Amino acid sequence: MRSLFSDIPRTALTMCYWAFLLYLLVPLILMMAMSFKDANYVAFPIGEWTLGWYAEVVQDKQFLDACLYSIMIAAAATLASTILGVWIAMLISVEGIRGQVVIFALACLPAVVPGMISAISLRIFISTIDLPTGTAAIILGHTVHSVPFVVVMALTRLRSMPSNLVDAARDLGADSVVAFFRVTLPYLGPAIMGGMIFCVLLSIDDFVRTFFLGGYRLTLPMLIFAKVQGGMSPEINAMATIVLLVTAAVGLYAEYLTRRSRTR
Amino acid sequence: MQPVVHFDNVTKYYGRTIAVDGLDLAIQPGKFVTLLGPSGCGKSTTLRMLGGFETPNSGKIMLAGKDVTRLPPNKRDVNIVFQDYALFPHMDVARNIAFGLELKGHDSASIHRRVLELLDLVQLQAYAKRMPSELSGGQRQRVALMRALAPDPQVLLLDEPLSALDAKLRQQMQGELKSIQEKTGKTFLFVTHDQDEALTMSDQIVIMNKGKVEQIGDPKSLYASPSSVFVASFIGDANLLQGTVTGVGDRATALNWNGTSIQASAEGHVVKQGDKVCIVLRPESIRCAAAASGLPNSMPGKIRHRVFRGNHTSLTVEVAQGSQLNALVHPAEAGALSGEDIFVGWEPSSATIIPEQIAAA
Repeated sequence: MRSLFSDIPRTALTMCYWAFLLYLLVPLILMMAMSFKDANYVAFPIGEWTLGWYAEVVQDKQFLDACLYSIMIAAAATLASTILGVWIAMLISVEGIRGQVVIFALACLPAVVPGMISAISLRIFISTIDLPTGTAAIILGHTVHSVPFVVVMALTRLRSMPSNLVDAARDLGADSVVAFFRVTLPYLGPAIMGGMIFCVLLSIDDFVRTFFLGGYRLTLPMLIFAKVQGGMSPEINAMATIVLLVTAAVGLYAEYLTRRSRTR
Repeated sequence: MQPVVHFDNVTKYYGRTIAVDGLDLAIQPGKFVTLLGPSGCGKSTTLRMLGGFETPNSGKIMLAGKDVTRLPPNKRDVNIVFQDYALFPHMDVARNIAFGLELKGHDSASIHRRVLELLDLVQLQAYAKRMPSELSGGQRQRVALMRALAPDPQVLLLDEPLSALDAKLRQQMQGELKSIQEKTGKTFLFVTHDQDEALTMSDQIVIMNKGKVEQIGDPKSLYASPSSVFVASFIGDANLLQGTVTGVGDRATALNWNGTSIQASAEGHVVKQGDKVCIVLRPESIRCAAAASGLPNSMPGKIRHRVFRGNHTSLTVEVAQGSQLNALVHPAEAGALSGEDIFVGWEPSSATIIPEQIAAA
């Protein structure tokens, strides 16, 4: 009796988990399966299988251009938010600085402001300062959004850093700039790497901000959105599958890096 | 000889608490000098001020004849061995040691030579390419020491570097530190709260208390003739007896201790009849015997407590109503003292008098 009772909650927990996993994975698996369907509409059964759609996608100039554009924006936004984020984290970690909590809260705000609100306000802002929609505006929008993630990751690492490492560097003849570049920055390395990958993923994935701030050139999510508007085709499934696999791989690698930085 | 370090009336406050209070201290070159004191006595602050990590509120710090009071750490010719070593975790042993040399602008060939020479000094040649996380505590300690020695500083500062090691290793490192100091001829300024470390390694000990220097001297003279009760009780164990001077002689001073007459040495202090004084009597100076031994200060007593400590036995002896003495007895002699009633005694020269006004301070 006792073992039966104690088993019930556990079985229930396990079943809930499997239900969740099913709900998570079935749509993705269906989407991936459809990308191999040898027909120009999306429906069951699949019938004939083909790799033709992938061949089409990798030759699609629009797709390649959108990929390139997205990567370019991601690179620029990542660079900017990494520098800003590390800078803010260093500021917050200074002992006895006034308003530490406020600085931290403000730096983290962009992570919790709803994307829609942030996008609209940025749009109003850029038209106020006469900045045209397009590449620069998108990069600005993505940067603001990514900074908090870098701040949090860099700060976590900084807090675990023995304070006398910098003292030791200063003692051995380094001025504060040399101490930062030769001791603090290498120590932050894994956290910065993880933060950067996070920024790249956020930027590549972003739709709302890009939609409001973008010009005529399409980023990857915008292109997929536009294609869906024109009707579902297995080509979209193939594109989405490629994006899914690449981002999942990068994301897992980032998780691995941050895990390592926490344990070392 | 011109001192290599000179603290001139240095005072440091943290908010309202005074950490170092008008410190005057001169350190001679080539010596192993220890700042010894309880936690909060200002010894670490003194070291950090010399390192450049704290700025005094007033006073001057001279290093090799140069005023360094307000120079940042990187502009001072001193290096610190930190308590937790502070090795750079992303650099291997050789690069850690080379760090200070690189910043001084030495060329890579001479850096390489110097690193090998230093690794050789502590027998870590095989570990040049290891990362700090792959080293044992003692090895990290040695690397930290070599990293600080590498740029050839005027003074090497050591901030309780042995406190993280276990007892065995600590003893071994004490010997090693001392021999490295002798081999290199560097001035070492060592900070510790551990009297054993101070006694075994130092040429000179500076005892600090409440931000001030209490007494300076070599280990032997500090132990044999402490100038205050604080020093007497901080270095080694001591019986502290309260007494009144009853007679002043050439070699010994007669005293009244709770109604018992005893003799002790005034050691340079001027005392006169009727003065209230404190007498410092080391447990190992007290001789215990089964019969009255003919020693001066011989008196009967009863053993109240007996603690076996391996290489000696510690006795608590009641010599008069309410007057107790702690004595150390060699294992060979302890056997003869099986009964409760014994006699204790000591040479007058081994008991030091400290006048009351100093004892109270």
